[in-house]
Amino acid sequence: MSVLQMVLIALFIYLGAIGSIVGNTIGWYCLGRPLVASFVVGLIMGDVQTAMLVGVPLQIAYLANVTPGGAVAWDLSYATYIGTATALALKGTVASTPALIGLAFTGAGLGGVVGGTMWGIHYSLDVFLNRWAERLAEQGETRKMWMPNVLGGQAIGFLARFVPALAILAAINVAGSSSGLNIPGWFITGISTFGSMMAALGMGIILSFLVKKNIHWAIFLAGFVLVTYFGLNTMAVAVVGIIVAFIVYAVGNRQEAI
Amino acid sequence: MAKTVSAKTLRNSFNQWFFWNGCSQQAETMLGMAFGQSMSPVIEELYDSKEERAAGLKRHITLFNTESQVGSVCNGIAIGMEEQLANGVGTPESIQEAKVALIGPTSAIGDSLWVATIIPLLLTICLTISQSMTDAAWVGPVLYMLVYPLGTYLLSWKIFRTGYKAGLEGVQQFMATGQLDKIMEAVTVLGLIVVGGLTATFVNASLNIDIKTTTQVFDAATQTYTDGVISVFNLDNLLNNVFPKIVPLALTLLVYYLYAKKNWKPIAIMGLILVLAVIVTVIGFIPGIGAFA
Repeated sequence: MSVLQMVLIALFIYLGAIGSIVGNTIGWYCLGRPLVASFVVGLIMGDVQTAMLVGVPLQIAYLANVTPGGAVAWDLSYATYIGTATALALKGTVASTPALIGLAFTGAGLGGVVGGTMWGIHYSLDVFLNRWAERLAEQGETRKMWMPNVLGGQAIGFLARFVPALAILAAINVAGSSSGLNIPGWFITGISTFGSMMAALGMGIILSFLVKKNIHWAIFLAGFVLVTYFGLNTMAVAVVGIIVAFIVYAVGNRQEAI
Repeated sequence: MAKTVSAKTLRNSFNQWFFWNGCSQQAETMLGMAFGQSMSPVIEELYDSKEERAAGLKRHITLFNTESQVGSVCNGIAIGMEEQLANGVGTPESIQEAKVALIGPTSAIGDSLWVATIIPLLLTICLTISQSMTDAAWVGPVLYMLVYPLGTYLLSWKIFRTGYKAGLEGVQQFMATGQLDKIMEAVTVLGLIVVGGLTATFVNASLNIDIKTTTQVFDAATQTYTDGVISVFNLDNLLNNVFPKIVPLALTLLVYYLYAKKNWKPIAIMGLILVLAVIVTVIGFIPGIGAFA
């Protein structure tokens, strides 16, 4: 990675975080999602193809990463940008796609923990901005109300995210460029296994959002056996799902009419 | 003449909320400062004296929280009430009460319908596109980057204006019709089928127990018996004959159980998956019973 590439990735780690200057819809919920993040890293590092190979599994594992009540246990933006960058920087050291995915999850684990800590710092320091906002409100300064929120919040947010991200990326870069780096085979097998099991994290947690009654388990299993017994690919499963959803909606409306 | 909020100010207020609602999130007032910022152009237009403006700003930087995208309805309602107040209808206290009353329901609808259902579904569709077109995998993220922000902006703006026009009672009436529940049920069914398919496709887990033995094997090419290794007991093959991919399914259900029933944090579950991965990898290398040995 060149210095420019590292700076760009660190910048996107900040933009993809909660409460960045572009807003949560464009930031956290779009640039911060692994599918988009891996694509952006791929563009910056000039290898979209490889980036998407790790981006899809990262997205599935972290599909359920939402933020109820602002509780960020796991910083997705940090995790996936660092994870994809790790995989791309070290891709020369491994031979198989599962191993590459394993590398991405290892990097994501490191990035996520650092990011979670940084969010905690951001969240705590922001409290002091309330005093500034109160003072401006007291004086009826309608034109200056953006300052504590946008200016203050962003200064803290940018420092807490951009600077540590740059340091981690530099460390990965050192590891990637050292010719002596030789990852042992058992370690590759281990992280490949970890990577392929991580999809269960996303699926299990998303189920807890979706399942509200017992019949829902039957519907989930129907989707499962469409793949295992009928051999459908995920696109075909999605089409079947859309058709069934329309029927459920129509039946729900008709019951009301009767 | 009655005071009204101009169309330009409405758009200005909405944009300030939409882009900067999360800038200064913290434990004391949550999104309070951001809400105050989005109300500042409205206060400026409705009130002229410094005292009235100060009072107006002060009642909007207090504790407020919601799921911001769907929660723009709260801003719309608050602007409508603020407009009435400037014309002598209602009290400052009723605005406060309305805001506090809206925190719960708008957070719940926003988090469950939008954040936990619509976003994962859209991501799922886009990642499926990326996965099925390996030569053009960029289509998935590009599609998401266009559809999600644009669609959300338009929807959030519509909800904001609905809140402004319909007011607190109008919005509560709509929520009572049950239309939202029916949409929610249909979307949930779609989500469940897709998650079932994704689980079967993407979750991989093996127990790595494969007991082999060295024996005489007939080699058809040379028509002779040679020493070879054959598997006498492969646990994964056995289980998959009973129900294909039962181990990945069990792992997924374990995650569900720990998260939904035992309140484990995602990061703790991730740790457990790491431990399990180490265990099955070690099993795989044990001579005699391991799949890799």
